[in-house]
Amino acid sequence: MSLLDVSGLVVNRAGVGVVRGTSVTAEAGQISVLLGANGAGKTTLLEGIAGIAPVAAGRVVLNGADLTRASPGDRARAGLALIEQGRTVFARLTTEENLRVSMDPETGPENAYALFPELRQRSGIAAGMLSGGEQQMLVIARALLARPRVLMIDEMSAGLAPVIVSRLMKAVRRLADEGMAVLLVEQFASLALAIGDRAYVLRRGGVVYEGGCDTLARDPERLHHLYLGDAPVGRGE
Amino acid sequence: MKHASFGSSLAIVLSVAAIGGLSLTLLSSYWIFLLTAVFVVGIALQSLGIVAGRTGMISLCQMSFAGVGAWTTGYLNVAGFPGGLPVWILIGGLAAVPVGVAIGLPALRLRGINLAIVTLGFAAAFDTVLATITFPGQTSFNQVARPALFDSDEGYFLFVLVVYAVIAVALEVVSRTRLGAAWLAVRHSERAAAAVGVSVPGAKLSAFAISAFIAGISGGLLAGYLGTLVSDNFSMMQSLALFAVATMTGAHYVHGSIAGGVLIALFPELMRRLNLPQDLGAVVFALGAVQALSTGESMAEALMRLFRRLFPRAVEAPPLLDEASLPKPAVAETSASALDVSSLTVRYGSVIALDKVDITIPQRTVVGLVGPNGAGKSTLVDAVAGFLPTYEGSARLAGAPLDGLSPRRRARRGLRRTWQTTRIAPELDVGQYVQLASGGVSAHELDALLAWLECPAASTPIAFVDAGTRRLLDIAGAIAARPQVLLLDEPAAGQSYAEAVKLGQRIAEIPSLFGSAVLLIEHDMDIVRQACSTVTVLDFGRVIASGPPQEVLDLPAVRKAYMGVDGEAEAAA
Amino acid sequence: MDGLLTAATAGLSAGGAYAILGVCAVFTYRLVAVVNFTGAAIGATGAFAMVALIEAGMAQFPAIVLGVLAGTLTATAIGVVMTRWFSGATASTKAAVTAALLVGMIAVGLRLTGGQDAHLFPAVAPGSAFRFAGVEVTNAGVLTVILAVVFTFAAETFLARTRTGLRLRALSERPMAAELMGIPVRRLAITVWMLTGAMTTVALIIIAPQRSPNFASMSLLVVPALAAALIGAFSSFRAALLGGLLIGIVEGLASGIDRFSQYRGAVPFIVILAVLLWSQRGARWDEAR
Repeated sequence: MSLLDVSGLVVNRAGVGVVRGTSVTAEAGQISVLLGANGAGKTTLLEGIAGIAPVAAGRVVLNGADLTRASPGDRARAGLALIEQGRTVFARLTTEENLRVSMDPETGPENAYALFPELRQRSGIAAGMLSGGEQQMLVIARALLARPRVLMIDEMSAGLAPVIVSRLMKAVRRLADEGMAVLLVEQFASLALAIGDRAYVLRRGGVVYEGGCDTLARDPERLHHLYLGDAPVGRGE
Repeated sequence: MKHASFGSSLAIVLSVAAIGGLSLTLLSSYWIFLLTAVFVVGIALQSLGIVAGRTGMISLCQMSFAGVGAWTTGYLNVAGFPGGLPVWILIGGLAAVPVGVAIGLPALRLRGINLAIVTLGFAAAFDTVLATITFPGQTSFNQVARPALFDSDEGYFLFVLVVYAVIAVALEVVSRTRLGAAWLAVRHSERAAAAVGVSVPGAKLSAFAISAFIAGISGGLLAGYLGTLVSDNFSMMQSLALFAVATMTGAHYVHGSIAGGVLIALFPELMRRLNLPQDLGAVVFALGAVQALSTGESMAEALMRLFRRLFPRAVEAPPLLDEASLPKPAVAETSASALDVSSLTVRYGSVIALDKVDITIPQRTVVGLVGPNGAGKSTLVDAVAGFLPTYEGSARLAGAPLDGLSPRRRARRGLRRTWQTTRIAPELDVGQYVQLASGGVSAHELDALLAWLECPAASTPIAFVDAGTRRLLDIAGAIAARPQVLLLDEPAAGQSYAEAVKLGQRIAEIPSLFGSAVLLIEHDMDIVRQACSTVTVLDFGRVIASGPPQEVLDLPAVRKAYMGVDGEAEAAA
Repeated sequence: MDGLLTAATAGLSAGGAYAILGVCAVFTYRLVAVVNFTGAAIGATGAFAMVALIEAGMAQFPAIVLGVLAGTLTATAIGVVMTRWFSGATASTKAAVTAALLVGMIAVGLRLTGGQDAHLFPAVAPGSAFRFAGVEVTNAGVLTVILAVVFTFAAETFLARTRTGLRLRALSERPMAAELMGIPVRRLAITVWMLTGAMTTVALIIIAPQRSPNFASMSLLVVPALAAALIGAFSSFRAALLGGLLIGIVEGLASGIDRFSQYRGAVPFIVILAVLLWSQRGARWDEAR
């Protein structure tokens, strides 16, 4: 059995089905990559797993415990961490205060600084003044200090320079290698496929591809087809 | 529409007449006297319903407005002003209008919270002022004279009933006009209201003015009812209780206002007969209001829901498509391009969301706007539609500059937009919304348009329409206005592939059928290929490519922006 | 001149109480996003509980402690309602809820305290503190002002220095992110309500002897309190402190002038109008909606 097992999830937004019976899994020590164009339902899927978006059907099981009806806070305390898109730092708090919000009073922010040394230099600065890349590092580090078992990251690379993205990707790989299960939602496929183990491609709320990351990375035409579609005008489904 | 308005007005008149007839034949003078209070309070509740229920603002000083009307009536009585009570009441209502407008002014552009504070402040201030100046005739026991014809308690009951019915019918008629729809639109979303050309300050101020007028009338009626008044009749506590009851029963509905009147006027009597403390009423009102706020449904609304469940109204079949009746293009082609955006730059602090973006939409074409998350697509729509405080660069609609104009002015000049999340007021019906958004089309045109987009019939309440279809209504409203330019922000999001393809076909036909040019933001490239003649790609706030869809979407730079896939990455993988 | 100075100092203790209540209003708005119309009614509940205990023969000090406790419990009850049913509601809805609750609280309060019947509120700090330029400054006046200043800085320090304060700031900025991090959101919100309950009760116990000690009129002290909070734009504790003092002093001045003394109750309204008109100059309408 997988560490995180999401099966047949249905999530509606304002009465519209955005996630339509989707199943994904995440294993300890592995990275599951969720790909798909904007509007495919990736974010809503993560929100359903984290408990922010109400789930209409399906199950969310973490390490054998059914969390489908649990509150977002209970899921977080059970070891399910979601990093929302948009780099949700507490802008008026300093970098270190952001870290202290989540960490145990006894353990220091050292683990976070070890992963992203640049944060140490910015520790006294309001998080709102950090660069986009630093903010993304901060939210990852912040989530990390709560020692989650499954880390879900939504659109980590949106709006960031490629060099920063590749740095973040390496950090995420390191977390997985240390035993964490990672569920990575990305619109930009190549870098995510390069570090990921298992890949899912979503389109209009359903999984249209499931398989190894390496297989998909070797077949860019297939990916292009899955993403942008190349059907003739008027094709039905 | 006219028929519906006439029908409900008739229903109001008939039920009020029935209540009046039954009461006068069956009830003793004592109960008639009590019932009169029900309708006086009912009028005050209706006045509060305009501001709170319809326009969604918190007013905690409604009885102060009533106090202004009552004071004026008392003053005219003491002064012996000609015309008698009906004229005094009318003048009293008018006297409350400037007060209402003045209270509404400081909250026009700020959050509703401030209105709650300013109205409570006014209620407190009015309390002190009234306690000091006292009512005209209060110390000399100078009774407010009732009209000779209605001098008895039964007579005055009839008088109040007639005034109640006139106001209820008038409000019913107003609620079906553009003004009534505008109030609901403002309550639901100020931005969306402005985007369909509604003046938000105008809607708020008119609501306050009319509300104060009606409250003033109820105060005048109370003066005639009680003869002499004391400041306690209009104290802050009365205003607060009125607010709680209005929230609990739903004062912007006729039956809600009567139910509220019954609660306020008869509850103390009931408590007295049960040997319970009379002020228990306020506790019930408070709990009832909290309950209504937590469920989002007042008593009147719950009743209507129950009624609909017991007697389901036959859902009118969607109209059949009659292409000949579709609204005709109303755009004059005065320049080659419908919209010219040049060097548009938007900054949020140090972040540049849009960087010198140029986009031209030729007349009668569909241009696609694509790009990854955070590329600046919605920011562009917000800027062009006038929803950003500032931007650099310029936007011109058919050659005329738009910069500096409010969203409402831009909408009126022929620039319409839709929203990623629909913001249509659920209290409207389909036809009312499209009429509000379009500024008026004929019934035939309306039906044809609804059929063309496969929307439900015009009489369907929005509350019964699912979110996906509401987005279609958004588009229908915008099309019906036949604007120069239509900005569609992800119209197909959340729809199945088949539905999205169908919508894509319709969007492609908009320019030829309705004369509007379209800017389409869409993520499904099949839809983009299908609907657009050219496509512009944004990445990091810059235009990275522009041209025919087939060519542009295969460009390596576009693939890279969209998927992060390029030659290098493939080699690395 | 002397008369005016006397009048202004007379407004000082009221101003101090407005300042405390204003600071509490800012505290609740900043941390749990509620414009709380029951603020003063909560304090009045505690103050009247204290009087009831004293009338029943309890000594003053334990009665004060239990009164503060009663205020705290009342605030907690309201906090439970707000967090349980209205945590996701808009600011307008939350304000409407507290306005509705105020109606019920005043009715119950008036019933339990015997309506307009006078209760003898013991002066917590009787007597005169000192004379300044020939004007007597009362102990109560000095005490409320000191307390207002202490509360202001205590609130600031609590938020800046404690772990709970840190989490509260995080929570108020991004409730969803805080909840996703496993922060006990509801428990923290209730803590805020408890603290404001205790603070307002203390304020009202001090001010009660100088006011008409009637439950309704004490509950309606929420008007000057919100006016003070508005001066602080519902975000600055210090501006709310100064605003509260200012309103009290202006009220005192108004009552010193015969022609205006009857209308001093209108002062908070005029302040509210002025602040709102000033703060919306140049502003577009609320873009968030």
